[in-house]
Amino acid sequence: MQPTRCLLKRSVWKGIALLPIVRPEPGKKAAPIRTQARSATILPNFVGLKFQVHNGKVYHDVTITEEMVGHKLGEFSPTRKAFIWNKK
Amino acid sequence: MPVNIFGAAFHEQKLVKKALESFYALGPQTSARILAKYCIHPRAKIGTLPPKTVTALTAELSTMTIESDARKILQDNIKRLRDMGTYRGRRHAMGLPVRGQRTRNQIETARKLNKVERRG
Repeated sequence: MQPTRCLLKRSVWKGIALLPIVRPEPGKKAAPIRTQARSATILPNFVGLKFQVHNGKVYHDVTITEEMVGHKLGEFSPTRKAFIWNKK
Repeated sequence: MPVNIFGAAFHEQKLVKKALESFYALGPQTSARILAKYCIHPRAKIGTLPPKTVTALTAELSTMTIESDARKILQDNIKRLRDMGTYRGRRHAMGLPVRGQRTRNQIETARKLNKVERRG
């Protein structure tokens, strides 16, 4: 509806997406990619990869599926703990 | 005599523009465009419409994505977020604000609207 909206999120000279360095492993075992770059955009070539995304404390396992493309890595690693009253 | 447009009965004295806007996902801009398309005055009332225009309006509305179709799209979008496990999907499921608003007070709108099976 408003094509400018996605452009206005971030200035153009910085580039549309901030990318982490993705190591496409040609070998046998693809170790999950440990990253703290929560603001990195998920690109189409990430599909099928495993990430471990930092939430400030621990790393959450995220397996990238097709519909996640275009979202940020941090959206899949919750940072807030639910408040529980008087937990002992 | 109520007049039927797209399955809903309207009183003769109601403005055509307001009657069109009573459908979900049909706002001021779209209704103004429909009025212009069928050469209806912006302040015209339902009673003044000839029956031919009424059927034309119903035909026009049936081609648009309004009411349950539009609600379905909205619910699908929220469900997609929820199934992916995104933060926005989680906030919808919890009935809390989605876009980083504070939650100490004044979250009535989020409590009312933010659901996975959102109605309106």
